[in-house]
Amino acid sequence: MTVSTLLLELRRSRTLVVGMAVVTLAYGGIMGAMYPVLAENQALLDEYMKVFPKEFLLAFGMTGTLTDPGVFFTTYIASWLWPIIAAILAIIIGTRATAADAERGWVEQPLATPLRRTSLAIASILDQGIGLLVVALATVVGLLVVGLAVAAPFDAGRFLLAVPALVAFGAAIAGLTMLLAVLTLSRGRAAGIVAGLLIAMYLLNVVVQIQPDFEALGYLGLFHYLDTTETISAGTLPWGDLAVLAVIALVGWGLAVWRFRTRDLVV
Amino acid sequence: MTTAIELRGLTRHYGRRRGIVDVSLDVDEGEVFGFLGPNGAGKTTTIRMLLGFMRPSAGSARVFGLDAWRDASALHSRLAYLSGEPVYLGELTAARLLDHLGGLRGLPRGSWRPLAERLDLDVTVQVRKLSRGNRQKVGVVQLFMGNEPLLIMDEPTTGLDPLMQRQFLGLIAEARAQGRTTFISSHNLQEVERSCDRVGIIREGRLVEIATVQSLLGEHWRSVNLVLNAPAPSGAFDLPNVRQVMSSGRDVHVMIRGDVNPFLRRLGALDVLDVAITTPDIEDVFYRFYEGDVAGSGGRAANGATGGSPAGVVPVPAGGVDRPVNGREEAGR
Repeated sequence: MTVSTLLLELRRSRTLVVGMAVVTLAYGGIMGAMYPVLAENQALLDEYMKVFPKEFLLAFGMTGTLTDPGVFFTTYIASWLWPIIAAILAIIIGTRATAADAERGWVEQPLATPLRRTSLAIASILDQGIGLLVVALATVVGLLVVGLAVAAPFDAGRFLLAVPALVAFGAAIAGLTMLLAVLTLSRGRAAGIVAGLLIAMYLLNVVVQIQPDFEALGYLGLFHYLDTTETISAGTLPWGDLAVLAVIALVGWGLAVWRFRTRDLVV
Repeated sequence: MTTAIELRGLTRHYGRRRGIVDVSLDVDEGEVFGFLGPNGAGKTTTIRMLLGFMRPSAGSARVFGLDAWRDASALHSRLAYLSGEPVYLGELTAARLLDHLGGLRGLPRGSWRPLAERLDLDVTVQVRKLSRGNRQKVGVVQLFMGNEPLLIMDEPTTGLDPLMQRQFLGLIAEARAQGRTTFISSHNLQEVERSCDRVGIIREGRLVEIATVQSLLGEHWRSVNLVLNAPAPSGAFDLPNVRQVMSSGRDVHVMIRGDVNPFLRRLGALDVLDVAITTPDIEDVFYRFYEGDVAGSGGRAANGATGGSPAGVVPVPAGGVDRPVNGREEAGR
Protein backbone atom coordinates (compact mmCIF):
# COMPACT_ATOMS: atom_id res chain seq x y z
CA MET A 1 0.00 0.00 0.00
CA THR A 2 2.88 2.33 0.78
CA VAL A 3 4.38 1.48 -2.60
CA SER A 4 1.31 2.55 -4.57
CA THR A 5 0.98 5.65 -2.41
CA LEU A 6 4.67 6.42 -2.92
CA LEU A 7 4.29 5.99 -6.66
CA LEU A 8 1.35 8.36 -6.64
CA GLU A 9 3.26 10.92 -4.58
CA LEU A 10 6.24 10.64 -6.91
CA ARG A 11 3.95 11.17 -9.84
CA ARG A 12 2.50 14.25 -8.22
CA SER A 13 6.01 15.60 -7.64
CA ARG A 14 7.24 14.72 -11.09
CA THR A 15 6.67 18.05 -12.80
CA LEU A 16 8.16 20.05 -9.95
CA VAL A 17 11.19 17.81 -9.47
CA VAL A 18 11.94 17.40 -13.15
CA GLY A 19 11.48 21.13 -13.70
CA MET A 20 13.78 21.99 -10.81
CA ALA A 21 16.31 19.41 -11.99
CA VAL A 22 16.35 20.84 -15.50
CA VAL A 23 16.76 24.38 -14.20
CA THR A 24 19.57 23.50 -11.79
CA LEU A 25 21.22 21.25 -14.35
CA ALA A 26 21.24 24.13 -16.83
CA TYR A 27 22.39 26.62 -14.21
CA GLY A 28 25.14 24.29 -13.02
CA GLY A 29 26.19 23.78 -16.61
CA ILE A 30 26.39 27.50 -17.25
CA MET A 31 28.43 27.99 -14.09
CA GLY A 32 30.71 25.12 -15.10
CA ALA A 33 31.22 26.71 -18.50
CA MET A 34 32.10 30.00 -16.81
CA TYR A 35 34.78 28.53 -14.58
CA PRO A 36 37.68 28.68 -17.10
CA VAL A 37 36.89 32.35 -17.74
CA LEU A 38 37.10 33.04 -14.02
CA ALA A 39 40.33 31.06 -13.75
CA GLU A 40 41.96 32.95 -16.61
CA ASN A 41 41.09 36.25 -14.98
CA GLN A 42 41.74 35.32 -11.37
CA ALA A 43 43.92 38.33 -10.62
CA LEU A 44 41.45 40.77 -12.07
CA LEU A 45 38.61 39.02 -10.29
CA ASP A 46 40.37 39.13 -6.93
CA GLU A 47 40.94 42.82 -7.47
CA TYR A 48 37.26 43.26 -8.37
CA MET A 49 36.08 41.38 -5.31
CA LYS A 50 37.88 43.89 -3.09
CA VAL A 51 35.20 46.38 -4.12
CA PHE A 52 32.57 44.49 -2.14
CA PRO A 53 32.20 44.69 1.62
CA LYS A 54 33.30 41.67 3.59
CA GLU A 55 29.76 41.09 4.85
CA PHE A 56 28.47 40.78 1.30
CA LEU A 57 31.15 38.28 0.38
CA LEU A 58 30.48 36.20 3.50
CA ALA A 59 26.77 36.19 2.79
CA PHE A 60 27.52 34.34 -0.44
CA GLY A 61 30.12 32.03 1.04
CA MET A 62 33.08 33.75 -0.59
CA THR A 63 35.69 32.90 1.99
CA GLY A 64 38.60 32.61 -0.44
CA THR A 65 39.45 32.96 -4.07
CA LEU A 66 36.65 32.20 -6.47
CA THR A 67 38.79 29.89 -8.53
CA ASP A 68 39.05 27.48 -5.61
CA PRO A 69 36.55 24.76 -6.67
CA GLY A 70 35.05 24.55 -3.17
CA VAL A 71 34.57 28.32 -2.88
CA PHE A 72 33.27 28.41 -6.43
CA PHE A 73 30.65 25.75 -5.68
CA THR A 74 29.63 27.34 -2.40
CA THR A 75 29.44 30.83 -3.88
CA TYR A 76 27.37 29.96 -6.90
CA ILE A 77 25.28 27.07 -5.60
CA ALA A 78 25.40 26.03 -1.96
CA SER A 79 25.17 29.46 -0.32
CA TRP A 80 22.03 30.72 -2.03
CA LEU A 81 20.66 28.60 -4.86
CA TRP A 82 20.43 25.33 -2.99
CA PRO A 83 18.73 26.78 0.12
CA ILE A 84 16.09 28.31 -2.13
CA ILE A 85 15.65 25.13 -4.17
CA ALA A 86 15.57 22.97 -1.04
CA ALA A 87 13.06 25.27 0.64
CA ILE A 88 10.77 25.21 -2.41
CA LEU A 89 10.92 21.42 -2.62
CA ALA A 90 10.45 21.01 1.12
CA ILE A 91 7.53 23.39 1.27
CA ILE A 92 5.69 22.08 -1.76
CA ILE A 93 6.30 18.36 -1.31
CA GLY A 94 6.68 18.31 2.46
CA THR A 95 3.34 19.97 3.11
CA ARG A 96 1.34 18.37 0.30
CA ALA A 97 0.30 14.93 1.53
CA THR A 98 -0.67 16.24 4.95
CA ALA A 99 -1.62 19.90 5.25
CA ALA A 100 -2.40 20.74 1.63
CA ASP A 101 -4.39 17.57 1.02
CA ALA A 102 -6.24 18.05 4.28
CA GLU A 103 -7.06 21.63 3.33
CA ARG A 104 -8.34 20.69 -0.11
CA GLY A 105 -10.16 17.60 1.18
CA TRP A 106 -8.32 14.91 -0.78
CA VAL A 107 -6.72 13.31 2.26
CA GLU A 108 -10.08 11.89 3.33
CA GLN A 109 -10.24 9.70 0.24
CA PRO A 110 -7.13 7.56 0.74
CA LEU A 111 -7.49 7.63 4.51
CA ALA A 112 -11.02 6.23 4.29
CA THR A 113 -9.39 3.09 2.87
CA PRO A 114 -7.25 0.66 4.88
CA LEU A 115 -4.25 2.89 4.14
CA ARG A 116 -2.71 3.87 7.45
CA ARG A 117 -1.87 7.46 8.18
CA THR A 118 1.66 6.34 9.00
CA SER A 119 2.03 4.77 5.55
CA LEU A 120 0.82 7.93 3.86
CA ALA A 121 3.26 10.06 5.86
CA ILE A 122 6.16 7.70 5.15
CA ALA A 123 5.36 7.76 1.44
CA SER A 124 5.49 11.54 1.59
CA ILE A 125 8.87 11.45 3.36
CA LEU A 126 10.32 9.09 0.78
CA ASP A 127 8.98 11.35 -1.94
CA GLN A 128 10.68 14.35 -0.33
CA GLY A 129 13.97 12.48 -0.04
CA ILE A 130 13.90 11.26 -3.62
CA GLY A 131 13.01 14.71 -4.93
CA LEU A 132 15.87 16.33 -3.02
CA LEU A 133 18.33 13.67 -4.19
CA VAL A 134 17.35 14.02 -7.85
CA VAL A 135 17.63 17.81 -7.85
CA ALA A 136 20.88 17.81 -5.84
CA LEU A 137 22.40 15.31 -8.26
CA ALA A 138 21.23 17.35 -11.25
CA THR A 139 22.80 20.48 -9.77
CA VAL A 140 26.19 18.91 -9.15
CA VAL A 141 26.22 16.82 -12.33
CA GLY A 142 25.39 19.83 -14.50
CA LEU A 143 28.30 21.76 -13.04
CA LEU A 144 30.65 18.80 -13.22
CA VAL A 145 29.88 17.58 -16.71
CA VAL A 146 30.11 20.96 -18.38
CA GLY A 147 33.05 22.03 -16.19
CA LEU A 148 35.02 18.92 -17.08
CA ALA A 149 34.08 19.37 -20.73
CA VAL A 150 35.71 22.81 -20.72
CA ALA A 151 38.75 21.45 -18.86
CA ALA A 152 37.94 22.93 -15.46
CA PRO A 153 40.12 21.28 -12.79
CA PHE A 154 37.13 19.74 -11.01
CA ASP A 155 37.55 16.54 -9.04
CA ALA A 156 34.33 14.62 -9.72
CA GLY A 157 34.66 12.52 -6.59
CA ARG A 158 35.04 15.57 -4.36
CA PHE A 159 32.15 17.38 -6.00
CA LEU A 160 29.90 14.37 -5.62
CA LEU A 161 30.65 14.42 -1.89
CA ALA A 162 28.65 17.64 -1.82
CA VAL A 163 25.51 15.76 -2.84
CA PRO A 164 24.92 14.11 0.56
CA ALA A 165 25.50 17.46 2.22
CA LEU A 166 22.98 19.17 -0.03
CA VAL A 167 20.44 16.40 0.46
CA ALA A 168 20.93 16.36 4.24
CA PHE A 169 20.49 20.13 4.38
CA GLY A 170 17.30 19.88 2.30
CA ALA A 171 16.06 16.97 4.39
CA ALA A 172 16.49 18.98 7.57
CA ILE A 173 14.35 21.75 6.08
CA ALA A 174 11.85 19.18 4.85
CA GLY A 175 11.64 17.51 8.27
CA LEU A 176 10.91 20.82 9.98
CA THR A 177 8.45 21.78 7.25
CA MET A 178 6.52 18.53 7.43
CA LEU A 179 6.34 18.76 11.20
CA LEU A 180 4.94 22.29 10.96
CA ALA A 181 2.54 21.17 8.23
CA VAL A 182 1.17 18.39 10.41
CA LEU A 183 0.97 20.59 13.49
CA THR A 184 -0.90 23.36 11.70
CA LEU A 185 -2.59 21.42 8.88
CA SER A 186 -2.03 24.61 6.92
CA ARG A 187 0.36 24.76 4.01
CA GLY A 188 0.39 28.55 4.12
CA ARG A 189 1.27 28.78 7.79
CA ALA A 190 3.89 26.05 7.58
CA ALA A 191 5.48 27.68 4.52
CA GLY A 192 5.48 31.10 6.15
CA ILE A 193 7.10 29.86 9.33
CA VAL A 194 9.74 27.85 7.47
CA ALA A 195 10.57 30.73 5.16
CA GLY A 196 10.91 33.06 8.13
CA LEU A 197 13.11 30.61 10.01
CA LEU A 198 15.38 30.10 7.00
CA ILE A 199 15.82 33.81 6.47
CA ALA A 200 16.58 34.28 10.17
CA MET A 201 19.09 31.41 10.10
CA TYR A 202 20.72 32.78 6.97
CA LEU A 203 21.18 36.19 8.56
CA LEU A 204 22.41 34.56 11.74
CA ASN A 205 25.03 32.68 9.73
CA VAL A 206 26.24 35.91 8.15
CA VAL A 207 26.36 37.74 11.49
CA VAL A 208 28.27 34.92 13.11
CA GLN A 209 30.90 35.03 10.39
CA ILE A 210 31.31 38.77 10.75
CA GLN A 211 31.22 38.81 14.54
CA PRO A 212 33.21 35.92 16.00
CA ASP A 213 31.82 36.81 19.44
CA PHE A 214 28.51 35.32 18.35
CA GLU A 215 30.08 32.14 17.05
CA ALA A 216 28.17 29.95 19.48
CA LEU A 217 24.89 31.18 18.05
CA GLY A 218 25.89 29.83 14.66
CA TYR A 219 25.23 26.31 15.84
CA LEU A 220 21.53 27.18 16.03
CA GLY A 221 21.23 27.65 12.29
CA LEU A 222 21.12 24.99 9.59
CA PHE A 223 23.54 26.94 7.41
CA HIS A 224 26.33 26.27 9.87
CA TYR A 225 26.16 22.60 8.90
CA LEU A 226 26.37 23.12 5.14
CA ASP A 227 30.06 23.79 4.47
CA THR A 228 30.61 22.58 0.93
CA THR A 229 33.83 24.58 0.61
CA GLU A 230 35.45 22.42 3.23
CA THR A 231 33.87 19.23 1.85
CA ILE A 232 35.18 19.79 -1.68
CA SER A 233 38.55 21.15 -0.57
CA ALA A 234 39.23 18.38 1.91
CA GLY A 235 37.62 15.66 -0.16
CA THR A 236 36.01 14.00 2.82
CA LEU A 237 32.43 13.69 3.92
CA PRO A 238 31.57 16.05 6.77
CA TRP A 239 30.21 13.32 9.00
CA GLY A 240 29.55 15.57 11.94
CA ASP A 241 27.53 18.08 9.93
CA LEU A 242 25.72 15.29 8.14
CA ALA A 243 24.83 13.67 11.44
CA VAL A 244 23.40 16.89 12.85
CA LEU A 245 21.33 17.55 9.73
CA ALA A 246 20.17 13.93 9.63
CA VAL A 247 19.08 14.05 13.26
CA ILE A 248 17.11 17.25 12.64
CA ALA A 249 15.48 15.68 9.57
CA LEU A 250 14.67 12.40 11.30
CA VAL A 251 13.34 14.06 14.43
CA GLY A 252 11.18 16.39 12.34
CA TRP A 253 9.86 13.60 10.18
CA GLY A 254 9.44 11.25 13.12
CA LEU A 255 7.44 13.77 15.12
CA ALA A 256 5.42 14.59 12.01
CA VAL A 257 4.50 10.93 11.49
CA TRP A 258 3.58 10.50 15.15
CA ARG A 259 1.46 13.65 15.22
CA PHE A 260 -0.21 12.87 11.91
CA ARG A 261 -1.17 9.47 13.27
CA THR A 262 -2.61 10.83 16.49
CA ARG A 263 -4.22 14.12 15.56
CA ASP A 264 -7.68 14.99 14.32
CA LEU A 265 -7.87 15.60 10.61
CA VAL A 266 -9.82 18.80 10.96
CA VAL A 267 -8.88 21.92 9.10
CA MET B 1 -29.87 -8.63 13.68
CA THR B 2 -26.47 -7.23 14.62
CA THR B 3 -25.57 -3.61 14.96
CA ALA B 4 -23.37 -2.05 12.31
CA ILE B 5 -23.07 1.41 13.80
CA GLU B 6 -23.36 2.21 17.46
CA LEU B 7 -23.06 5.79 18.68
CA ARG B 8 -23.27 6.41 22.40
CA GLY B 9 -23.32 9.92 23.79
CA LEU B 10 -21.11 11.01 20.94
CA THR B 11 -19.98 14.56 21.55
CA ARG B 12 -17.53 16.78 19.81
CA HIS B 13 -16.60 20.38 20.45
CA TYR B 14 -14.35 22.57 18.33
CA GLY B 15 -12.89 24.71 21.06
CA ARG B 16 -15.86 26.70 22.24
CA ARG B 17 -17.87 25.95 19.15
CA ARG B 18 -20.47 23.24 19.15
CA GLY B 19 -19.99 20.24 16.97
CA ILE B 20 -22.38 17.54 18.07
CA VAL B 21 -23.73 16.85 21.53
CA ASP B 22 -24.70 13.51 23.06
CA VAL B 23 -25.67 11.78 19.85
CA SER B 24 -26.73 8.17 20.38
CA LEU B 25 -28.13 5.86 17.76
CA ASP B 26 -27.88 2.35 16.40
CA VAL B 27 -27.90 1.29 12.77
CA ASP B 28 -28.52 -2.35 12.06
CA GLU B 29 -26.61 -4.36 9.51
CA GLY B 30 -28.38 -4.23 6.16
CA GLU B 31 -30.27 -1.07 7.05
CA VAL B 32 -30.29 2.15 5.04
CA PHE B 33 -30.14 4.96 7.55
CA GLY B 34 -30.62 8.61 6.65
CA PHE B 35 -29.03 11.35 8.71
CA LEU B 36 -30.95 14.52 8.07
CA GLY B 37 -30.11 18.04 8.98
CA PRO B 38 -29.36 21.42 7.46
CA ASN B 39 -25.86 22.67 6.88
CA GLY B 40 -23.96 23.09 10.11
CA ALA B 41 -26.19 20.76 12.10
CA GLY B 42 -23.38 18.29 12.73
CA LYS B 43 -23.80 15.66 10.03
CA THR B 44 -20.28 15.85 8.68
CA THR B 45 -18.81 15.98 12.18
CA THR B 46 -20.63 12.76 13.01
CA ILE B 47 -19.40 11.10 9.83
CA ARG B 48 -15.82 12.21 10.45
CA MET B 49 -15.93 10.56 13.84
CA LEU B 50 -17.48 7.45 12.32
CA LEU B 51 -14.55 7.32 9.92
CA GLY B 52 -11.98 7.85 12.65
CA PHE B 53 -10.83 11.18 11.28
CA MET B 54 -11.64 12.90 14.55
CA ARG B 55 -11.57 11.85 18.17
CA PRO B 56 -14.78 12.36 20.15
CA SER B 57 -14.74 14.86 23.01
CA ALA B 58 -16.97 12.39 24.84
CA GLY B 59 -18.91 9.24 24.11
CA SER B 60 -18.05 6.55 21.63
CA ALA B 61 -18.54 5.55 18.02
CA ARG B 62 -18.31 1.86 17.23
CA VAL B 63 -18.64 0.31 13.79
CA PHE B 64 -18.98 -3.45 13.53
CA GLY B 65 -17.88 -3.53 17.13
CA LEU B 66 -14.64 -1.68 16.40
CA ASP B 67 -13.78 1.63 17.96
CA ALA B 68 -13.94 4.14 15.12
CA TRP B 69 -10.91 6.10 16.34
CA ARG B 70 -8.64 3.42 17.73
CA ASP B 71 -9.32 0.76 15.11
CA ALA B 72 -9.77 3.10 12.17
CA SER B 73 -7.51 1.25 9.76
CA ALA B 74 -9.13 -2.13 10.41
CA LEU B 75 -12.52 -0.52 10.16
CA HIS B 76 -11.71 1.08 6.83
CA SER B 77 -11.30 -2.32 5.22
CA ARG B 78 -15.00 -2.80 5.84
CA LEU B 79 -16.41 0.45 4.53
CA ALA B 80 -16.51 2.71 1.50
CA TYR B 81 -16.98 6.44 1.82
CA LEU B 82 -18.22 9.21 -0.43
CA SER B 83 -18.01 12.81 0.65
CA GLY B 84 -20.47 15.44 -0.48
CA GLU B 85 -18.08 17.31 -2.70
CA PRO B 86 -15.36 14.79 -3.28
CA VAL B 87 -11.96 16.23 -4.07
CA TYR B 88 -9.82 14.18 -6.37
CA LEU B 89 -6.41 14.61 -7.87
CA GLY B 90 -7.20 16.56 -11.00
CA GLU B 91 -4.05 15.58 -12.84
CA LEU B 92 -5.03 11.91 -12.87
CA THR B 93 -7.42 10.33 -15.29
CA ALA B 94 -10.54 8.90 -13.72
CA ALA B 95 -9.26 5.40 -14.53
CA ARG B 96 -5.91 6.01 -12.83
CA LEU B 97 -7.61 7.52 -9.82
CA LEU B 98 -10.10 4.68 -9.48
CA ASP B 99 -7.32 2.12 -9.84
CA HIS B 100 -5.36 3.87 -7.10
CA LEU B 101 -8.26 4.04 -4.67
CA GLY B 102 -9.31 0.51 -5.60
CA GLY B 103 -5.78 -0.71 -5.00
CA LEU B 104 -5.77 0.83 -1.55
CA ARG B 105 -8.97 -1.11 -0.86
CA GLY B 106 -7.46 -4.34 -2.15
CA LEU B 107 -9.55 -4.41 -5.31
CA PRO B 108 -8.15 -5.71 -8.59
CA ARG B 109 -7.32 -3.19 -11.29
CA GLY B 110 -10.29 -2.25 -13.43
CA SER B 111 -12.87 -3.47 -10.94
CA TRP B 112 -14.57 -0.13 -11.44
CA ARG B 113 -15.08 -0.71 -15.16
CA PRO B 114 -18.59 -2.27 -15.21
CA LEU B 115 -19.95 0.47 -13.00
CA ALA B 116 -18.24 3.22 -15.00
CA GLU B 117 -19.76 1.84 -18.19
CA ARG B 118 -23.15 1.61 -16.57
CA LEU B 119 -22.95 5.25 -15.50
CA ASP B 120 -21.52 6.28 -18.86
CA LEU B 121 -18.40 7.76 -17.28
CA ASP B 122 -15.49 8.57 -19.57
CA VAL B 123 -12.55 7.36 -17.49
CA THR B 124 -9.90 8.45 -19.98
CA VAL B 125 -10.32 12.11 -19.15
CA GLN B 126 -8.30 13.89 -16.49
CA VAL B 127 -10.46 14.48 -13.46
CA ARG B 128 -9.85 18.23 -13.59
CA LYS B 129 -11.41 18.32 -17.04
CA LEU B 130 -14.59 16.57 -15.95
CA SER B 131 -17.76 18.50 -15.26
CA ARG B 132 -18.93 18.63 -11.67
CA GLY B 133 -21.57 16.01 -12.36
CA ASN B 134 -19.04 13.67 -13.91
CA ARG B 135 -16.66 14.18 -11.02
CA GLN B 136 -19.52 13.17 -8.78
CA LYS B 137 -19.95 10.09 -10.94
CA VAL B 138 -16.33 9.21 -10.22
CA GLY B 139 -17.24 9.38 -6.56
CA VAL B 140 -20.26 7.17 -7.04
CA VAL B 141 -18.17 4.61 -8.93
CA GLN B 142 -15.46 4.54 -6.28
CA LEU B 143 -18.12 4.17 -3.59
CA PHE B 144 -19.84 1.18 -5.12
CA MET B 145 -16.92 -0.52 -6.89
CA GLY B 146 -16.06 -2.72 -3.92
CA ASN B 147 -18.03 -5.05 -1.73
CA GLU B 148 -17.51 -3.43 1.63
CA PRO B 149 -20.37 -4.18 4.02
CA LEU B 150 -20.80 -0.54 5.04
CA LEU B 151 -21.33 2.48 2.81
CA ILE B 152 -21.02 5.95 4.33
CA MET B 153 -22.10 8.95 2.28
CA ASP B 154 -22.07 12.61 3.12
CA GLU B 155 -24.68 14.40 1.02
CA PRO B 156 -23.96 12.12 -1.91
CA THR B 157 -26.32 13.49 -4.55
CA THR B 158 -25.08 17.05 -4.43
CA GLY B 159 -24.35 17.97 -8.04
CA LEU B 160 -26.03 14.96 -9.60
CA ASP B 161 -28.64 15.49 -12.26
CA PRO B 162 -32.07 13.88 -11.76
CA LEU B 163 -31.26 10.94 -14.03
CA MET B 164 -28.04 10.26 -12.19
CA GLN B 165 -29.81 10.64 -8.84
CA ARG B 166 -32.21 7.93 -9.91
CA GLN B 167 -29.35 5.64 -10.85
CA PHE B 168 -27.69 6.41 -7.58
CA LEU B 169 -30.78 5.48 -5.63
CA GLY B 170 -30.94 2.28 -7.67
CA LEU B 171 -27.39 1.46 -6.60
CA ILE B 172 -28.34 2.00 -2.98
CA ALA B 173 -31.28 -0.34 -3.43
CA GLU B 174 -28.94 -2.95 -4.90
CA ALA B 175 -26.56 -2.52 -1.99
CA ARG B 176 -29.44 -3.01 0.39
CA ALA B 177 -30.48 -6.15 -1.47
CA GLN B 178 -26.92 -7.41 -1.00
CA GLY B 179 -27.29 -6.86 2.73
CA ARG B 180 -24.87 -3.95 2.88
CA THR B 181 -25.46 -1.26 5.45
CA THR B 182 -25.80 2.33 4.29
CA PHE B 183 -25.44 5.53 6.27
CA ILE B 184 -26.44 8.62 4.29
CA SER B 185 -26.19 12.15 5.54
CA SER B 186 -28.41 14.48 3.60
CA HIS B 187 -30.56 17.53 3.59
CA ASN B 188 -32.52 16.19 0.67
CA LEU B 189 -35.70 14.64 1.98
CA GLN B 190 -36.65 13.13 -1.35
CA GLU B 191 -33.37 11.32 -1.50
CA VAL B 192 -33.89 10.02 2.01
CA GLU B 193 -37.53 9.22 1.42
CA ARG B 194 -36.72 7.10 -1.59
CA SER B 195 -33.77 5.25 -0.18
CA CYS B 196 -33.84 5.03 3.60
CA ASP B 197 -35.47 2.71 6.08
CA ARG B 198 -35.02 5.02 9.01
CA VAL B 199 -34.04 8.60 9.50
CA GLY B 200 -32.30 10.48 12.27
CA ILE B 201 -32.74 14.23 12.38
CA ILE B 202 -29.99 16.32 13.87
CA ARG B 203 -30.61 19.83 15.01
CA GLU B 204 -27.89 22.15 16.24
CA GLY B 205 -25.71 19.19 17.03
CA ARG B 206 -28.34 17.19 18.90
CA LEU B 207 -30.28 14.24 17.60
CA VAL B 208 -33.91 15.23 17.94
CA GLU B 209 -35.68 12.42 16.19
CA ILE B 210 -35.28 8.92 14.91
CA ALA B 211 -38.14 7.50 12.92
CA THR B 212 -38.99 5.43 9.92
CA VAL B 213 -39.43 7.47 6.80
CA GLN B 214 -43.11 6.56 6.64
CA SER B 215 -43.81 7.76 10.11
CA LEU B 216 -41.78 10.91 9.62
CA LEU B 217 -43.73 11.87 6.55
CA GLY B 218 -46.96 10.43 7.86
CA GLU B 219 -46.96 12.64 10.89
CA HIS B 220 -46.36 15.70 8.83
CA TRP B 221 -49.03 17.86 7.31
CA ARG B 222 -49.80 17.59 3.63
CA SER B 223 -51.55 20.35 1.78
CA VAL B 224 -54.64 19.44 -0.28
CA ASN B 225 -56.26 21.88 -2.67
CA LEU B 226 -59.69 20.92 -4.00
CA VAL B 227 -61.95 22.35 -6.64
CA LEU B 228 -65.47 21.03 -6.17
CA ASN B 229 -68.44 21.14 -8.47
CA ALA B 230 -70.48 22.64 -5.66
CA PRO B 231 -69.59 24.11 -2.25
CA ALA B 232 -68.82 21.39 0.29
CA PRO B 233 -71.45 20.78 2.93
CA SER B 234 -70.68 21.84 6.45
CA GLY B 235 -68.55 19.31 8.31
CA ALA B 236 -67.61 17.49 5.11
CA PHE B 237 -63.98 17.25 6.26
CA ASP B 238 -64.42 16.98 10.01
CA LEU B 239 -61.87 14.30 10.64
CA PRO B 240 -59.36 14.02 13.48
CA ASN B 241 -56.38 14.33 11.20
CA VAL B 242 -57.74 16.98 8.86
CA ARG B 243 -57.63 20.71 9.37
CA GLN B 244 -59.64 22.93 7.06
CA VAL B 245 -57.57 25.96 6.29
CA MET B 246 -59.69 27.76 3.76
CA SER B 247 -63.02 27.32 2.03
CA SER B 248 -64.16 29.80 -0.58
CA GLY B 249 -67.12 28.66 -2.60
CA ARG B 250 -65.99 25.64 -4.55
CA ASP B 251 -62.31 26.04 -3.64
CA VAL B 252 -61.19 24.22 -0.52
CA HIS B 253 -57.76 24.01 1.08
CA VAL B 254 -57.23 21.47 3.82
CA MET B 255 -54.22 20.13 5.69
CA ILE B 256 -54.02 16.44 6.38
CA ARG B 257 -51.55 14.11 7.97
CA GLY B 258 -51.34 10.43 8.74
CA ASP B 259 -53.86 8.03 7.27
CA VAL B 260 -55.48 9.56 4.19
CA ASN B 261 -58.12 6.88 3.64
CA PRO B 262 -60.89 8.41 5.77
CA PHE B 263 -60.36 11.68 3.96
CA LEU B 264 -60.48 10.01 0.55
CA ARG B 265 -63.73 8.25 1.49
CA ARG B 266 -65.27 11.61 2.38
CA LEU B 267 -63.94 12.99 -0.88
CA GLY B 268 -65.57 10.13 -2.76
CA ALA B 269 -68.95 11.41 -1.69
CA LEU B 270 -68.28 14.78 -3.31
CA ASP B 271 -68.17 15.84 -6.94
CA VAL B 272 -64.49 16.78 -7.28
CA LEU B 273 -63.32 18.68 -10.36
CA ASP B 274 -59.68 18.88 -9.41
CA VAL B 275 -57.37 17.89 -6.58
CA ALA B 276 -53.75 18.77 -5.86
CA ILE B 277 -51.81 17.23 -2.97
CA THR B 278 -48.52 18.71 -1.94
CA THR B 279 -46.26 16.38 -0.02
CA PRO B 280 -44.05 17.81 2.68
CA ASP B 281 -40.58 18.82 1.74
CA ILE B 282 -37.50 19.16 3.82
CA GLU B 283 -38.42 22.66 4.93
CA ASP B 284 -41.72 21.44 6.26
CA VAL B 285 -40.11 18.67 8.23
CA PHE B 286 -37.35 20.83 9.56
CA TYR B 287 -39.85 23.47 10.51
CA ARG B 288 -41.05 21.22 13.29
CA PHE B 289 -37.63 20.85 14.74
CA TYR B 290 -36.46 24.36 14.16
CA GLU B 291 -39.41 26.09 15.72
CA GLY B 292 -38.18 24.87 19.08
CA ASP B 293 -41.28 22.80 19.69
CA VAL B 294 -39.80 19.36 19.95
CA ALA B 295 -41.80 17.76 22.70
CA GLY B 296 -44.77 15.51 22.58
CA SER B 297 -44.72 13.44 19.43
CA GLY B 298 -43.28 10.41 21.10
CA GLY B 299 -40.40 10.25 18.70
CA ARG B 300 -37.33 9.46 20.69
CA ALA B 301 -33.72 9.01 19.86
CA ALA B 302 -31.45 6.67 21.74
CA ASN B 303 -30.36 9.51 23.97
CA GLY B 304 -33.92 10.39 24.83
CA ALA B 305 -34.36 13.30 22.47
CA THR B 306 -37.94 13.60 21.37
CA GLY B 307 -39.56 14.71 18.20
CA GLY B 308 -42.50 17.11 18.31
CA SER B 309 -45.53 18.46 16.54
CA PRO B 310 -46.69 21.94 15.71
CA ALA B 311 -49.04 23.51 18.14
CA GLY B 312 -52.66 22.68 17.65
CA VAL B 313 -52.25 19.60 15.55
CA VAL B 314 -54.46 16.61 15.91
CA PRO B 315 -53.15 13.31 17.26
CA VAL B 316 -51.28 11.14 14.88
CA PRO B 317 -53.03 7.90 13.90
CA ALA B 318 -52.01 4.82 15.80
CA GLY B 319 -48.85 3.28 14.50
CA GLY B 320 -47.66 6.55 13.08
CA VAL B 321 -45.00 7.53 15.53
CA ASP B 322 -45.04 5.14 18.46
CA ARG B 323 -41.55 3.87 18.71
CA PRO B 324 -39.42 2.02 21.19
CA VAL B 325 -36.94 4.01 23.21
CA ASN B 326 -34.02 3.14 20.98
CA GLY B 327 -35.83 4.69 18.09
CA ARG B 328 -35.92 1.49 16.10
CA GLU B 329 -39.03 0.04 14.59
CA GLU B 330 -39.57 -2.33 11.76
CA ALA B 331 -38.59 -0.83 8.52
CA GLY B 332 -41.47 0.01 6.29
CA ARG B 333 -39.75 -1.21 3.19
